[in-house]
Amino acid sequence: MKEIVIRRKRPLGVLSILVVAVTAVAVSVTTGAQARSSADELKGAGATFPAPLIAAWQTNYQAQKGVKISYNPIGSGGGISAISNKTVDFGASDAPMTPDQFSKCGGCVELPWALSATSVMYNLPGLPNNLHITGPILAGIYLGQIKKWDDSKIKAVNKGVNLPSLDITPVYRSDSSGTSFNFTTYLNTVSKQWKSQIGRGTTVNWPAGVGARGSSGVSGVVSRTPGGVGYADIAYALKNHLKFFSVQNRAKKFARPGLAGIKAAAQADRKFNPQSNELSIVNPPGSKRFARAYPICTYTYVILRTTSPQAALLKPFVTWALTTGQQYGPKLIFQPVPKYVVAKGKATLKKVHS
Amino acid sequence: MSAQVPTSDLFRSEHLRRRTIVNKTIELLATVAALAAVAVLIIVVGSVVRRGWGALNLDFFTQNQTIYSGFGPRPASGVANAIVGTLIIIGIAIVMALPVGVATAIYLNELAPRKLAGVLTLAFDVLNGIPAIVLGIFVFVFVVVGHGQAAWKASFALAILMVPLIARSTQEVLALVPISMREASLALGAAKWRTTISVVLPQAVGGIVTGATLATARAAGETAPLLFTSALYSADTMTYDPRQPLASIPMFIFTSAEQADPVLHEQAWGAAAVLIGIILIASLIARGFADRSVRRLKGER
Amino acid sequence: MTVAQERSPGPAALVRRGRFRPGDAVLYVVTAAAAFTGIALLVLISDEVLREAWPAMQKFGLHFLTTQAWGDNNKTLFGAKSFIYGTIVTSFGALLLATPISLAIALFLSELAPRWIRAFVAPLIELLAAIPSVVLGLWGILVLGPFITGTLGPAIHGSLGWLPIFASKPTVGSNMFAAILILTIMMVPIVSSICRELFVGVPSELKDGALALGATRWEVVRGVVFPYARAGIAAALILGLGRALGEAIAVTQVIGNNVAIHADLFKPGDTLASRIAGQYQGADTALQVASLVYLAVILLVFSLIANLAAQLIVRRVAGRHQIR
Repeated sequence: MKEIVIRRKRPLGVLSILVVAVTAVAVSVTTGAQARSSADELKGAGATFPAPLIAAWQTNYQAQKGVKISYNPIGSGGGISAISNKTVDFGASDAPMTPDQFSKCGGCVELPWALSATSVMYNLPGLPNNLHITGPILAGIYLGQIKKWDDSKIKAVNKGVNLPSLDITPVYRSDSSGTSFNFTTYLNTVSKQWKSQIGRGTTVNWPAGVGARGSSGVSGVVSRTPGGVGYADIAYALKNHLKFFSVQNRAKKFARPGLAGIKAAAQADRKFNPQSNELSIVNPPGSKRFARAYPICTYTYVILRTTSPQAALLKPFVTWALTTGQQYGPKLIFQPVPKYVVAKGKATLKKVHS
Repeated sequence: MSAQVPTSDLFRSEHLRRRTIVNKTIELLATVAALAAVAVLIIVVGSVVRRGWGALNLDFFTQNQTIYSGFGPRPASGVANAIVGTLIIIGIAIVMALPVGVATAIYLNELAPRKLAGVLTLAFDVLNGIPAIVLGIFVFVFVVVGHGQAAWKASFALAILMVPLIARSTQEVLALVPISMREASLALGAAKWRTTISVVLPQAVGGIVTGATLATARAAGETAPLLFTSALYSADTMTYDPRQPLASIPMFIFTSAEQADPVLHEQAWGAAAVLIGIILIASLIARGFADRSVRRLKGER
Repeated sequence: MTVAQERSPGPAALVRRGRFRPGDAVLYVVTAAAAFTGIALLVLISDEVLREAWPAMQKFGLHFLTTQAWGDNNKTLFGAKSFIYGTIVTSFGALLLATPISLAIALFLSELAPRWIRAFVAPLIELLAAIPSVVLGLWGILVLGPFITGTLGPAIHGSLGWLPIFASKPTVGSNMFAAILILTIMMVPIVSSICRELFVGVPSELKDGALALGATRWEVVRGVVFPYARAGIAAALILGLGRALGEAIAVTQVIGNNVAIHADLFKPGDTLASRIAGQYQGADTALQVASLVYLAVILLVFSLIANLAAQLIVRRVAGRHQIR
């Protein structure tokens, strides 16, 4: 028979020490409940569209000013909800916030801080880059009406190109996306059917194709899918060696999403929306001034709380981004923002305090 | 015995050859099925090892992820902060879940009236079946909204996942401790609480370790709760503060898998190999402990 | 059998014993509190989730379940129909594939395999259960997807394309079929390990009796083992189904996130859990958040039903056959 030894002190002692230790840790952990960034660090989250430029800003700002910026590209919707929930110091979105979102945010301001183009990428092995496409064709593709690459409408604008009889797989953003907002705004202007049936938004009911998360996700699916077509900031097309379309603008010219095309399109709107500072430059008019304009360009915005505990670090950073930071843009196909945008940004920043 | 007694349709002794063929065919199919399952396992783990092996160098374990902007190929770095983050998150989850799980098992096995124990056990079994994504939403709404993400909140969500597993495993091993041991201790004048803590519990340590290790293996791979509680982390810094959202291996794999960058893919495979390695080691430890303690307890009956 | 079932002390017994030990009371209170966290959490989770979903439940009512929409009309219309459809198709599709495979594996490991093979194969299949869903999703995106579009899909479409479920050739690796395969891989280890224990627990006198009467092994299984373990097999399948219903991460990585409802499995779709995982982080309007949590409520109801059903079957069977 086994001997029963009642160990008097040890298990109980161990147990009580454990209880005290756990309680101590728990108290210290939970009383610091606010996810406050440590000193000299700014936390941001939001759109994937400007992520390449923000990455350049992160490295250079830390090198120049010693302040660390961390940024999580979770989509424009994620940026809006993160700044509304106070989980970050700044949010980034390509979609202007609606009045409802402003009231839910409770004291937020938005201002444009970068400018680029939404490229339409395609995966057609063996075919040249910069094939032609028009807005109505894109709407037809994303409505699921134009199903094959050798459709007559596509052939009509690409004379001499040997388009294959391959199924078109439209790829869209499955998450809440400012790039979707921009792209669907464009489709609204070129297709009455799209406007009445689907409309625009960061999330819409995409009738055809597959969804992917983030601009990277869309690039990934397009690169893996022969016959795939998707939309994302031009930097992603170049980064992933994907071909992209020249899109027909209102001046009937086929424009490329390069710096010249963006600069021309940016002339289309100089009037800021009073609440969100939105500048909408999608599908500019057809006059000679906009002959080179790429029709799917967008500003992208930063969202700040008027009362920010990190205002002392935040304001210099955003000012820097609007001015010095713009020089890192052209390499990544971000056109430096015009002077009136810089002025508006600085004026809006005055509303931010700690 | 309320079992079904085989009925007459077994006893057609004509067509013996046909029955034998049917029998052999079924046996073959069963073998094929088992081999197919093993094959799938080999394919999946093989893919992970083959594609991730190249990423597993010293930098992988010592460097953090890098912020990269540019059109050329991304330089490969590492997932050091993700590994540390996973260890911290799981560590805190164990500290949260283990006491609750063991205490629960003690109550259900030693102290509760039978019917109440049945109801409470059912509650834990149902809790065990709640999808991790719903747990994530719950923790998000309960502690994250308005306060921010934090690693300990992720641990809290994982602890909810782990408690039923630890409780069940501990219950099973407590039931194996012989009644005679408890009775002898009580007969010698020890209080019930003394008996439980100093006599019964030490016998059950092996089973508790098993349960904790299995629960840890399960929690280490969960991604859904992390999406809500520890997703806004700084990718290129090493942080140890559990009040901040920390990087983690499952989140790294999840975000890298859907991108287009082949360098990130290779790192994702490497991280998957590390994760499977951790889980494999944990499962082997748990199995070793389980066999040892169960054998010991059973041998004394 | 728990010790409590044999002794059933209960709180009254402590006082009855005469000498009241405060340590006993402390132990009782502390452990009871821990044990009640199970119920407390269930209540709390249901309450919080319902409360978050309430704005959408109020606005859409039960029409939500029959509306096929997501973000329509400028993000004012949401509906769960597509995701309920997707959840049912993928989970039951996986169940359909997993049932024969799991039963076959359980038979192999309990009846057919010699001991040395059993010792070798059983841990391998349990390891399959331990692979995290995010790793299966990674494998699904980068290995299974291309395999489906390159080889498996065209083969199935070529031979079975007349069936509406295989009506088109898969052009992209993200589709319902990929989700079904991944869910099957997740279900099989769970179901087969439970069934294996059940088959081992069938009393040998029943099996021996049938064998003695001249039955072949398969006839023993069909006539003795399956009927005896019938309820347990059902419980195992329902538990596996519950696992498949709730899987969010691996499914959202491979299913394509589309709201349209197709019979064709080679087209993309979406499930309740997957849509929540994909959109919750970025939901930027209050109505979208509430609608996503409404999806979670539906998911919770589904998995609670499946879980309770399985647990009740197990308890009834345990009572009858004295299996713990």
